[in-house]
Amino acid sequence: MILEILQEKLKQGLFVVEKIITKSTTLPILNYVLFKTEGNFLNLSATDLEMGIRWWGLSKIEKQGKIVIPSRVLSSFIGFLPNKKITLKTKDLNFFIETEKNKSQIKGMSSEEFPLFPNLITEETMVFDSFLFCRGLNQIIDIPAVSSSRPEISGIFFQFKKDHLVLAATDSFRLGEKKLFYSDFLKEKNIPLDKEYLFILPQKTAREIINIFGEKKRDLKIYFSPNQVTFEILMEETPFPQIQLFSRLIDGEYPNYQEIIPQKFTNQIILDKKEFLNQVKIASLFSGKISEIKFKINSSKEEVQVFSQSADLGEYHGSLKAKIKGETLSVSFNHRFLINGLLNIEGNQIIFEINGQEGPAILKSDQDQSYFYVIMPIKSR
Amino acid sequence: MMSNEELWQAVIAQIQLNISSANFATWFKNTNILSFNEGGVIVSVPNSFTKEWLENKYNKIIFKTLREIDPKIKDIKYTITKGGLKITKKTSEILEQINQLELLETGLNKETNLNPRYTFENFIVGPFNELPYAAATALCQNPGSVYNPLFVYGGVGLGKTHILQAIGNEIIKNFPDKKIKYIPSEKFISGIINAIKNREAENFKSKFKAIDVLIVDDVQFLAGKEKTQEEFFHIFNALYQKNNQIVISSDRSPKNIPALTERLRSRFEGGMIVDIGIPDLETRVVILKTKAQEKKVEFSEEIYHYIASQIQKNIRELEGCLNRLIIHQKLNKTPLDLELTKVILKNITLSSSKTASPKKIIQTVAEFYDLKEKDLLVSTRRKEIVFPRQIAMYLLRTENNYSYPFIGKKFSGKDHTTVIYSFEKISREIEKNEKLEEEINLIKQRIYSP
Repeated sequence: MILEILQEKLKQGLFVVEKIITKSTTLPILNYVLFKTEGNFLNLSATDLEMGIRWWGLSKIEKQGKIVIPSRVLSSFIGFLPNKKITLKTKDLNFFIETEKNKSQIKGMSSEEFPLFPNLITEETMVFDSFLFCRGLNQIIDIPAVSSSRPEISGIFFQFKKDHLVLAATDSFRLGEKKLFYSDFLKEKNIPLDKEYLFILPQKTAREIINIFGEKKRDLKIYFSPNQVTFEILMEETPFPQIQLFSRLIDGEYPNYQEIIPQKFTNQIILDKKEFLNQVKIASLFSGKISEIKFKINSSKEEVQVFSQSADLGEYHGSLKAKIKGETLSVSFNHRFLINGLLNIEGNQIIFEINGQEGPAILKSDQDQSYFYVIMPIKSR
Repeated sequence: MMSNEELWQAVIAQIQLNISSANFATWFKNTNILSFNEGGVIVSVPNSFTKEWLENKYNKIIFKTLREIDPKIKDIKYTITKGGLKITKKTSEILEQINQLELLETGLNKETNLNPRYTFENFIVGPFNELPYAAATALCQNPGSVYNPLFVYGGVGLGKTHILQAIGNEIIKNFPDKKIKYIPSEKFISGIINAIKNREAENFKSKFKAIDVLIVDDVQFLAGKEKTQEEFFHIFNALYQKNNQIVISSDRSPKNIPALTERLRSRFEGGMIVDIGIPDLETRVVILKTKAQEKKVEFSEEIYHYIASQIQKNIRELEGCLNRLIIHQKLNKTPLDLELTKVILKNITLSSSKTASPKKIIQTVAEFYDLKEKDLLVSTRRKEIVFPRQIAMYLLRTENNYSYPFIGKKFSGKDHTTVIYSFEKISREIEKNEKLEEEINLIKQRIYSP
């Protein structure tokens, strides 16, 4: 292999693929990046066997070839080089990186050992604006919990419906749902789907998607296939894939969570989001190990009292004004769950609907109907 | 005859010698043989990387090893099945200690694990499940004193779980004070393993011993798990001695569960054993109509009949077809006709009709009786061949409704009267001989399992 490529471009490529490289002791080849020429492109690949990422960059290819290189030393080294033309060469299993002033030789391995990427088999595809898609995904990404007894809830649930995509996540203590309406950003790019697609995407893959595609305002194409899903964006300069990320899916049936979304409430509270978040954050300082914050909802005074207490530290009392429906009630929540939900709700006002001391509560925005967050209280003692 | 498991063990034992242990651990973990017939082997793999790798790198050696064991093998396919993601982190335990409440899962009762949706009211009774239904409803009047344990068995998707859960829900209604627990045996197994790991085995057992009605689903998964069986045996005995009701389900009868300890088997057989058969066409139509009604949709009579005639052995598949139609109707907002239904369900019906080919039936019967396929087909009066051949003829008639002359032709041109004689003989035998009936059901299960 002999080729020339710009430092900046190679750095970007390595940045994309090396993220999913986890240190594997059982199969050392997984710590490597595959370098491969494909026509006028340099292709980099990496995988942890659950997901795989491929990146392509235009480069001047003099001689086709392939080799695998340990990722860690490589990306650090490339990072130090000036943004100029770099020449990459292979000889046997040695990899030579040369610029005007630098020369290095890295020991590679035979690409024969590198896992083979499956072919892209696809039923239908769907195109999103990558920025908006990732922003939606980001609203629920932190919710799933890794659970060995219920692997199905350790991922994000995707439901592609006729005119919108529903994303949902739960850790069995709380649940978030985000709707992305195709009409909001798809314009005339898509033919309507023939089928509804449902799958559970591992949380780790979802995080990578946000990392890789979240900053770009480009077309993000999703390929559906029976056992895996592939995300792709094309190059800006030529209609060729720039990045493909594919992942296996979590096997299992997602719980029918619709049934637990509260339809009624005993108390409805309308609060200023900033002020509420602020109170919860202050109270969290005193809530100790168990993360409990108590709320007293006083409808006659139109006021919510906030209270937290820690055996070691002391205690906190706060209060904030609110519009309240329902009787006076005391109820406790985990501050981490509350903050996580509140941060993901858009708008200035929060609608907080509660179902007594032990029923599911729901947080939503007064403006944005596409998102809600269900949260279970802590049993008061 | 080697089982799939043994066959694959032989393959990987051989391969282990030829590749590095790291490679072996990576590429052969969670692989096994899914099916093996007509010279073709289907290997199940956990992900697409493994599929590519085995197909491209190890196919030759796998093929060679398989052929050494069985020269008839001509073809290997790899298919991705569930392997479960590797999950290493543990859920935070603090949350549970501090009374953090959980979202209730789909109306499941946390104490009993019962889903209130399964009741006797929405249980459809037909000739195929009359007996289990009668036993179950009788038991609910007086739990612990009649039919203890009640052992319900039958094929996949025929309503075992429904009947078990309905028993639980009915007893709650009749006796609100009774402590009832429904548990799938996989959950029971993992519960035991965890309890042992955390040194809480006694605690675990005493929790179960305090239950009035214990319902254990899919008990065949206990097969080969000796430690679990032992613990289960003690729980079983403790409950039984107190006259507490035990209800068990399985996909086969106690004597057909392999690697079940003798004492547990005899306990299971000590009560009432009932089996759920395969619903007839009329019942299948009623089931479809009822499900459609529950979902507040309606289709034409001919569509119900079409689905019911295509899907014969599995109520869950019936429901699956119905759901597909519902989704389609919703998306397109136009009522379906029969033609469109056929198109939508093409894949499903194709696969179900394919699996019951005459070849498959004959082959399965031969396998079941440890014979070669061609033995069944040649003309001979050897007793050990005649009987399986009669069964094969009987199945060709009942499962595919082939004409007597057609069936005769398959068996080296036997006269159609011979086929009629065989059919009638087996039909009569089944009436009298319970064991034969079960044998035939097992063969049917094998015919229709993928």
